[in-house]
Amino acid sequence: MTLNLTDAEMRVLDDLSARKDLSKTAVLRQALRLYQAVETRVEKGDKLVFENESTREKAELMLL
Amino acid sequence: MVDVSTIYLVAGDTVEAVEAELRDTIEEPQLVDWQTQWQPALIETLRALAQRGVPMAKWPQSWHWDWRQKRAGVAGLLAYPGFSVVAQGVTQGLAQIDLTRSARAPEHAGKPFAYVDYLEVAPWNRSDLGKTPRLKGVGTALLSATVALSDQEGFRGRIGLHSLPQADDFYRRKGLTDLGPDAQYQGLRYFEMSEDHARAFLEEE
Repeated sequence: MTLNLTDAEMRVLDDLSARKDLSKTAVLRQALRLYQAVETRVEKGDKLVFENESTREKAELMLL
Repeated sequence: MVDVSTIYLVAGDTVEAVEAELRDTIEEPQLVDWQTQWQPALIETLRALAQRGVPMAKWPQSWHWDWRQKRAGVAGLLAYPGFSVVAQGVTQGLAQIDLTRSARAPEHAGKPFAYVDYLEVAPWNRSDLGKTPRLKGVGTALLSATVALSDQEGFRGRIGLHSLPQADDFYRRKGLTDLGPDAQYQGLRYFEMSEDHARAFLEEE
């Protein structure tokens, strides 16, 4: 398959690849796993919440 | 499609090599073995331990694990692969992996790795219950498979896990770094294997 990405998307992929020490393919595979895992939890009625470890402030990520 | 590799275990009594299958999944036959073979053996073991007056703290700490429930909870999800070892016509060990987490040790903090959610060998293969294990090497085979998976996924063999106290020494012997008790995880000790250790581990195994 061919993946069409904008320059900005490609820069994000490059950055994640460098920061996570992964190939670009491995980044996309990981993204797919995470996306599927999150979607499954949200479909079951769970919320995706981020919590700041120091301030304990919570923010819900809305998935539409 | 299920990937099946031939591996060799060691018979506990004769020390002879025993051919086994390492399967990169956990399927219904393995869950049936868990229900019909592991569970009765475990109940028998617990009964014997109770009769001998062995305190509950020394009983198998994974006795309450329900593999059918664990697999149902992650059915169809790419992030949670499983492994099974089958020998002598029956499942000898099971492992469930989580590929969504990141390492903590300073040298590779934040990098993805393979986290061992659960790893268990059949009750008759445990070496800590006072009997000679039927087969040795099952836990090591499952750990090796996890390191190899981490490598295949581009995680350079990095793995991590929380260990039940009875398994702490096993993971130390296998070269994992003990990062100490984790207050966020029932105080269980947290272990990681770095990419350097992983390379050495795979060469050794």
